[in-house]
Amino acid sequence: MIVHRESPPQKPVRVVILGARGFIGAALKKRLGQAAINVLSLASADTDLALPASVETLVRALNSSDAVVMLATLTGRDNATLMKNLAMMQHVIAALERTDCAHLVYFSSDAVYGLGPARVTEETPAAPQDLYGVMHLARELMARALAKVPVLVFRPTLVYGAGDTHNAYGPNRFRRAAQKEGIIQLFGGGEETRDHIHVDDVAALTTRCLMHGSTGTLNLATGRSVCFRELAEMVARQFPKPVQIVETARAQPVTHRHYDVTNLIKAFPDFKFVALEDGLARCQEEVMGVT
Amino acid sequence: MTHLGLVSGVSAAEKGFGVICFDPGAQRIEALGKKNLPVSEPQLEHLLAKNAERLMFTADTAALKACDVIYVAPDVPTSDHGASDLKPINSLLEQIFAAVHPDAVVVVLSQVPPGFTRARQRAERILYYQVETLIFGRAVERALQPERFIVGCADPAQPLPVAYRIFLEAHGCPILPMRYESAELAKIAINMCLVASLSAANTLAELCEKIGADWSEIVPALKLDRRIGPHAYLAPGLGIAGGNLERDLTTACRFADELGTDAGIVRAWLANSRHRRDWALRTLHGEVLSKIADPVIAVLGLAYKQDTHSTKNSPSIALLSNLMQFRVRLYDPFVSASELPNPRRHAAKSELEACEGADVLAVMTPWGQFRDLDPREIAGRLRGKVVLDPYSVFDAAACRSAGLRYFTLGRPAA
Repeated sequence: MIVHRESPPQKPVRVVILGARGFIGAALKKRLGQAAINVLSLASADTDLALPASVETLVRALNSSDAVVMLATLTGRDNATLMKNLAMMQHVIAALERTDCAHLVYFSSDAVYGLGPARVTEETPAAPQDLYGVMHLARELMARALAKVPVLVFRPTLVYGAGDTHNAYGPNRFRRAAQKEGIIQLFGGGEETRDHIHVDDVAALTTRCLMHGSTGTLNLATGRSVCFRELAEMVARQFPKPVQIVETARAQPVTHRHYDVTNLIKAFPDFKFVALEDGLARCQEEVMGVT
Repeated sequence: MTHLGLVSGVSAAEKGFGVICFDPGAQRIEALGKKNLPVSEPQLEHLLAKNAERLMFTADTAALKACDVIYVAPDVPTSDHGASDLKPINSLLEQIFAAVHPDAVVVVLSQVPPGFTRARQRAERILYYQVETLIFGRAVERALQPERFIVGCADPAQPLPVAYRIFLEAHGCPILPMRYESAELAKIAINMCLVASLSAANTLAELCEKIGADWSEIVPALKLDRRIGPHAYLAPGLGIAGGNLERDLTTACRFADELGTDAGIVRAWLANSRHRRDWALRTLHGEVLSKIADPVIAVLGLAYKQDTHSTKNSPSIALLSNLMQFRVRLYDPFVSASELPNPRRHAAKSELEACEGADVLAVMTPWGQFRDLDPREIAGRLRGKVVLDPYSVFDAAACRSAGLRYFTLGRPAA
């Protein structure tokens, strides 16, 4: 559930994106640019947030009127990555304690919920089952402990788009495999259901929340889950030549995930999601355009 | 002279008893003296006129000295979270105790939590608690023909006072004396059993919508099962509305937390209620808001249920609170649409006027008169084709024949 502090919406004075060169950061920067919102991009090449020296760099860069979007996260579920990620957040928080900011948007993850409950709302208790989920939950709490800063936490589901450099099980891996080998491999029969949100929707919703000064917690999901088999078939239809969909031995039990996005609808009742079929076609067009 | 108090007083007069109706609010008493009723219930106005000679309205507590049995029935207000505010009833009880004669029987009829009545018992006063079973829209019928009386007593082994017994026996139904705490919890128990049925119905109705089953086909099979019964609450709805059921669930959770018992299922009912309440918003978003720019939305019904003016926890009002940016065309037979905060509202004078030029129609209260509407006429007035009818006021096949896309609870879209 989120609360809009600005109604009607207003452009932030400036948005500072930490992790601006990542998949979501780049899409957000583009979207904010289209909305003529002033942006300061900071990426790991500019300052390594894992180092204590980054605090001073941030203090010099930040203004109290800034809206800060914290996207910088290292993927990985090992102990060392956990500690690095916590150090990054520690340094961001330390800087914000000194400078304040008008609004902090923290990009967490649906990993905070674990895979226990199939249907998830923002009220679903957090119960992370790995260090990645634990890390995001800890960083959420670190952000919320800031006394003077209004905080919004996003918990996105699986985000897809042409610019995704990761190769996780889902649309991007399926597309690459279909293009390269003409084969999409499923875990088991691909029975698991998941919700996939297009990165443009993530950027659009983030922009809206920045303009509303929204606070609270919001799951970023479409409310429509499909099984991986159906997803693979959708991806396959993007190619002129037949793509083979192959089932493999299942190593993990089937789990499902559905999002009840009522709170998102209440926050933005006129929001129009990119339909999964359209989003996959958009990815294909963008990739083919690039190649 | 609340909803409960007024219905109880008029019904007692209809049973042939002289009734003094007391309220500390002089303005309310003056209005009642002029037959201006603050609530609407079938039969109430008629019975008030019919029994006028047996009814006296007063704001003077001194009049209560003449009474043998005094029912105390103020509304117990609840917070947004369903917690009871007992200050008003405490204050009224003190006034009553000070005014009545020592042999008078004081009966608490309001919805109070377990432990309330015993804590207010005193040696020089005769105090009982009686479970009220008011249903908005059927309040008079149930007051005249109750299924049973549940009477909370300081000591249930003692016979009821004669005057109280004579009044109860005039209704010809079983009388169940029990200790105060049992009666107070019985009220919660009744409502929890109703909510359990409703929650099962709502959970299964949602599954029907996704699986392709039709809940209305399943219900008769359940009602013929002796363990469930013909009067079971199995009609799917938009969560629990009205306020009284939520109050009892909140009270049950509070006691369970204090006493260390398990209330997980009660919290699950509340969560399911919140989820189903927003069925209309989710469907509206999926079919209209996410597809049409600046749509016009027609809403029939604002009250929380038919035959009442009450909008407390109304699914219609909840829906409209999320549609502030949209043009809405509203109609309710009792509730004035012009008082709602929606800035782009139009208060229509009829159902069909509300439908004029709208992209979607949502029937949010199942008023009987809406059943008389012809789907073909609705289709003729609407600009779009989507009809949300959670309570199945209309016939699905007739809507389909009229070219409408019909959405209701418990079955897939038609």
